[in-house]
Amino acid sequence: MADLSNLAGLGSDPSGEIDSSASSANNRSLRLAEKEKRKGEADPFGLAVKYLSQVEAGTVVRGNDELERNMLVVETVALSKGLPSEVITVLLDLALSLNAGTGNCARVLKFLIPATVVPQEAIVKGVSWLCVGKMPMNAQVLFVRWVLTVFDLIDCKDNLRSIYGFIFSFVTEENLCPFICHLLYLLTMREHVHPYRVRKLLDIQAKMGRQPFLTQLLALYKVFRPDLVTLSLPSRVRTGFKNHNSTWKVALSAVQRKNKGAVLVDQSLSLDVKEKPSTRKRVRCHLCNTVKSLTEHTLNSNKKVFCLQELRSFRELLENIHNIELPAQMGSLLGSALALHYLDCVQDESASLRLNFWLGHSLQEEFLLCPVDGSSDNTSEACRFLSTILFSQQFLQEGFSSTESFLYKFLSVWDGCLLRPQILDLLSDIPLMPSFYMHKLLFEPLKQLYFTSTVFFKVCMVLLFFFLSVCLYQARAWPCVLPRTMTLSGFMDSVMELVRFVGLLASEGLRLENCHVLLLNQTLAFYETVCDMFLKYSLPLIIMPPAGVFYPALFATDSVSVDRLGYIMYRYRKNLTLAKKQEQQREQTFHISRNTYKEFNRNLQAMVNSMWNSWWCIPGSDIEIDKDLISLSKVPEPWCRFDLIHHPALFSYAIEFHQRCWPERKNVDLGSIKTGKYWNWYMEFLFNQGFDGLNNFIQTNTGHSSGLSSQDDRQPTSQP
Amino acid sequence: MGKRDVQIFFLLFFWLGVFLFIMEGRGSAVNTPASRPLTRRSKSYGRSCVEAPSYFWQTPGHLTVLKVPTSRGAAKSQLITNKVDPEHIALLVKNEWKLSYVTPLHHFRHTQLKSYSRHLAAFIAAENQQGVAVEVGLEAGFKVTFTAVLGLAETDEDAETVFIQIQSKPAFAAAADAPKVVWRGWLTCVNGDPEYLRSLPSDFVSLPLFCTSGSESLTTLVKTWFERAFDCNFGSLALNSTTLNWLAALWTGCHPTCNIRHLKLAWSLPTQPPLDVSYTVNPQDAWELWNSIHPEESTDDKIDIKEVQSFINGLETHFFRHFKIYLSAGTLVKVSTALGSAHLDGKIKIGNSDYITTLLTLLTESALLKMPT
Repeated sequence: MADLSNLAGLGSDPSGEIDSSASSANNRSLRLAEKEKRKGEADPFGLAVKYLSQVEAGTVVRGNDELERNMLVVETVALSKGLPSEVITVLLDLALSLNAGTGNCARVLKFLIPATVVPQEAIVKGVSWLCVGKMPMNAQVLFVRWVLTVFDLIDCKDNLRSIYGFIFSFVTEENLCPFICHLLYLLTMREHVHPYRVRKLLDIQAKMGRQPFLTQLLALYKVFRPDLVTLSLPSRVRTGFKNHNSTWKVALSAVQRKNKGAVLVDQSLSLDVKEKPSTRKRVRCHLCNTVKSLTEHTLNSNKKVFCLQELRSFRELLENIHNIELPAQMGSLLGSALALHYLDCVQDESASLRLNFWLGHSLQEEFLLCPVDGSSDNTSEACRFLSTILFSQQFLQEGFSSTESFLYKFLSVWDGCLLRPQILDLLSDIPLMPSFYMHKLLFEPLKQLYFTSTVFFKVCMVLLFFFLSVCLYQARAWPCVLPRTMTLSGFMDSVMELVRFVGLLASEGLRLENCHVLLLNQTLAFYETVCDMFLKYSLPLIIMPPAGVFYPALFATDSVSVDRLGYIMYRYRKNLTLAKKQEQQREQTFHISRNTYKEFNRNLQAMVNSMWNSWWCIPGSDIEIDKDLISLSKVPEPWCRFDLIHHPALFSYAIEFHQRCWPERKNVDLGSIKTGKYWNWYMEFLFNQGFDGLNNFIQTNTGHSSGLSSQDDRQPTSQP
Repeated sequence: MGKRDVQIFFLLFFWLGVFLFIMEGRGSAVNTPASRPLTRRSKSYGRSCVEAPSYFWQTPGHLTVLKVPTSRGAAKSQLITNKVDPEHIALLVKNEWKLSYVTPLHHFRHTQLKSYSRHLAAFIAAENQQGVAVEVGLEAGFKVTFTAVLGLAETDEDAETVFIQIQSKPAFAAAADAPKVVWRGWLTCVNGDPEYLRSLPSDFVSLPLFCTSGSESLTTLVKTWFERAFDCNFGSLALNSTTLNWLAALWTGCHPTCNIRHLKLAWSLPTQPPLDVSYTVNPQDAWELWNSIHPEESTDDKIDIKEVQSFINGLETHFFRHFKIYLSAGTLVKVSTALGSAHLDGKIKIGNSDYITTLLTLLTESALLKMPT
């Protein structure tokens, strides 16, 4: 009240350049004060506020034109621009003190639209007027409703919280109770919940029945002190409080829209939007039911504790990381990125065990011991559940052990169809384990599924292993991700097993599915990763594709597969050469077996012979076929059927080339491509079609740059 | 109506011819390997399932980290009332119990049972009148008592059994009316796998077996309360036929010391319409058969799963001789003797408290096998 004389000046100056209270506190020069005063006098709004601030108790209201006039001035400004916070203090005091009469009390409250914030002291003062008990009931209700409406604009709430007890005492007023309950709901902290307050509320509940506002408040009390009160909310009950802002809503949002530019950023949100999160936040709390594990509760704990699910941002998490309380049900945290951050950081074994127990139990009950009554038909829910798990695992970059063991059980009963994308995704998160277990738990059931399923599923499976391998190798620092019980050699064995297993699956699958193009391409994509294990992922492992994959790719009818094979062979060569070099230089501990070189050379020979040397079935190679048998087929010049010209995948290119070279020729003679410069042109033509893999392959292995008759199939590093 | 029930009561004589072939199965009891040190990953979202010492054991329907024992000690009578309060024992013996398994309880304290009683009572009251808050600690229609049944635990790792009783006090009951017991249940762990129990962090209490008797709705409420308070999960525990086979053999083995009166077995055969066979064996005959497979005076105290299998095969073969029905084509659904009974769907009855430990050990084991890893 000390600053009242200066308030007038401030009212006219919404930009707040002149801080009147500060000026009076600092005892600025008289001249400045004079200037302010003059400025204030010039402004009708300032004068009006000044007048209103000086209205004393017992002022005649009826027929008081001056009061009416000033009131009108302030009202107009309030409804158009909103009131600065100091004016709100003054007017609230005027209204609640009833100095201007009860009629004006309601009137003032109705136009009390804050421009920016509401000072908390004004509210505290208002509550003290409430305690005086002079106000008529409708004014009291109006006041509390107003407080609820502007609650989010109150600058700071700690003093308000410290008079919690005073506010609480009004719950016994029947008319006021719903609004007071809402206000308490917004204010309540854990330390406010006491047995006597609980008992009071329960008494009121006994008197009034189950009113939603009481239930809400009690539910909040239960969240804070489950040891004092318990309550179960029927699922269909409407949660939340009614909005009491009808009186001010329109004016408030209009003012706020207008002042948007001037208002501080975090308050620029409209009231409706702002009110929601604060309510929502609390409702969610009920659902998650924070743990105060009944017994653990310590009343005298001074440090503020945060429940994990109340945190909104990573910043909040960082600031409160030492006072975080885990929820009663760890399962509620699944899918929350913040919570997973926290779990990952604190490495609380009990917490992760609880999460795992819950997860394992849910998966087991849902998918393995599913009730026969058909209630588990809800695939969309199951799908969502698995997706949440997937999200969490991908976030942690590690699978949960309970999902892992669930998958091993589930694979033996899975039909390969139910929730396929999710299950395959989950499978790709499985960590590598000793090869013995991989065989037993993973390969056996998958093999059965693979061989009895459609080609699409087979493609999916190879894709799965592709991902599995990618994930494995992408962990560049693989020694760190090794489970403690796995040695390096065990790890290598497992990778080898995995690759061999995929090789086996792929070659059998290709045979069964008649070299399905999609499956072949997926398989080759897998080997594109495998061939680079040494160079790209520093794994001292080089594993060749089995013949069942190599030859179908070599003799494939689509050019993409052949090109890919060329690229793969080219990369193998690079890897092997480097490995050899390192081995010779540094006497490294790892040793790539001679068989790998032999296998590579055999494959290389076959490829070069068939494509370059036009002699695809050399006696002694893998694909030796009896000459008489071939001659039975009556194919002319059988030996060059798979060279770069006649290969079924490249045949069409050769024809095109031929047409371009000799457009006038009627008889197509592909053999003429091989002569002279045409051969080089043809090579160039072919590689211009985007066959980079073949290009690389031919360049490195035949040294082709000019080479027409380059018969040289140099074998890299084949000497032991 | 579409079901034929064949009740067959007869005495078994002339065992010798039938069981000569069984004898060779003996003596091959496999001891469970000695426990190995436990290792744990530093960074764990749960415990890895393939690390030592756990193995996966593929059993039909489920797979588990725990070893399924292939041999166990013979049932021994012990005067349980010397260890445990006879009043408590009397509570366990009377009823038929429905079985469930529970994952380990987080932050459960045996010292807090009184406050748990109050909380559960308030919770039940609140659930019964949805939307009305209930003060914890007020007597509101239900009285819940948690009691620790001390002495039932066998090893240091076993947590003590907890017995829960719910009494209802109708609002308009006369003062003299005694409150009616409407629900009983208990959580127990007897001879639980020590490796498993030791591997749990100290803030967990594992009481894997939950037996209930009373209305289904109250069971659900109690389970919900436990799930909320101790972040655990319940699932129904169905017994498998191996467990029933074990029980039949173990109980039969007790006949010399304690009259089992009869060995009643019930089979369900997958015929159309389904055929239920109830097979009652004279206790002496059953025992003689068992004794021919596992002689009483044998030096080895362990009974092997093969012996148990032989015993059941013997009973089935004998049945086939008389009725030309292969019982092995169906499922054994129930075993009962004077010592107790057990049903495939997870219902048990305890007949004689002196052999309670054997039964509970077996059931604890079944419950632990259901634990998610």
